[in-house]
Amino acid sequence: MSTVSPYRKARPAELNFDDLLRPQVEYLYRLAWRFTGSVADAEDLVQDVLLKLFPRTEEMLAIQKLRPWLARVLYHQYVDSVRQRARSPALEVVGDTEGDDDPLDTLPAAVAGPDEQAEQGAWRERLVAALGQLNPEQRAVIAMHDVEGYSLEELETMLETPLGTLKSRLHRARQRLRALLPMEPFSGGKRVNG
Amino acid sequence: MECLDLRSRLDDYLDGRLDERPLREHLSACADCRNLVQHAQAVQEGLRKLSPPEVHPAFVDRAILRATRQNAVGAHPRVRALVGMALAASVVLGLSLGAFFSLREATVQTVALTIEKPETVRMVFNSAKPLRAATVSLLLPENVEVVGYAGQRELTWQTDLREGQNLLQLPLIARGAVKDDLLARLSHGASTKTFRVKFDMAKANTPGM
Repeated sequence: MSTVSPYRKARPAELNFDDLLRPQVEYLYRLAWRFTGSVADAEDLVQDVLLKLFPRTEEMLAIQKLRPWLARVLYHQYVDSVRQRARSPALEVVGDTEGDDDPLDTLPAAVAGPDEQAEQGAWRERLVAALGQLNPEQRAVIAMHDVEGYSLEELETMLETPLGTLKSRLHRARQRLRALLPMEPFSGGKRVNG
Repeated sequence: MECLDLRSRLDDYLDGRLDERPLREHLSACADCRNLVQHAQAVQEGLRKLSPPEVHPAFVDRAILRATRQNAVGAHPRVRALVGMALAASVVLGLSLGAFFSLREATVQTVALTIEKPETVRMVFNSAKPLRAATVSLLLPENVEVVGYAGQRELTWQTDLREGQNLLQLPLIARGAVKDDLLARLSHGASTKTFRVKFDMAKANTPGM
């Protein structure tokens, strides 16, 4: 049973929140990126989670293993946001310009690196694209189990999802990824024929 | 062990839950299963090596600050205007800057609004390189407010744009019929871009929107 220090309870919530969450933000961002595949969406997701958590600062003070608890909050926020976005209209570019020689139009694009970097970049893009083909629950189980190393039993508790459902979700996700990512790029790049 | 056994228990093997001896015996004799296992292991290895881009240096401070100040009524209104709020729906506007910006003609897209129903408009600014201290200004038409800023028709704040996508969330609410457009102006140095958002009140009244 956890206890909350009277000293911490007496401090302003902002200080306690900072103490609790600051060491966790990078972890949440990393996990959010694995969920979303986008820096902007990951930051957006983490920000939304922090906004929701601040009023729960006192509750968080009593949680001993905060990181898995935060991962669960992030997961639910992620799944909710994907569903919410799917119901919303997406509009294209809006804009006009003032001046034809706007320096903002001529800023250099990212410089292409050497061949190896380009290959790695292409492979990375393919991985991210393949993950993007998964549904949010599949993507999350891959991120939390295969990458972050939570066991399925831990996830059963964290996500309040039956073990059988998680196993099935993981199986389908891995199967889909293998189908989307053919063998060759993983083989070390050494061709033995031609 | 047969091929079918191995395939049905591949996940257990990948998770280290399987007695490896019978599996190894099978793999030594079956090239198809060997390839399957190597492929599965390689995909997992690839995923583990897939590292996120470094967190933006200012993000941690900014995120904590926004979260803790959200409830402070009236504090730092210009920062709050950037804060995403849990509202019913969102609309995405992609606004490109820099090398990827190609539109020359003014293009106006429409956002549906329902009177007295908050709607989050999400604007994505694409920038070809980091821009420090860019100025974002909003000129709101009559009867449209940023939630929490009643009566303010013009909001301006400074922000850093990073390379790539920069998200701005605007929780808007219509207080009555809206006739004019919203103008979002982004300035950096001597450069300015203005984006126009039109509101459609008729569409917003469609059931299910």
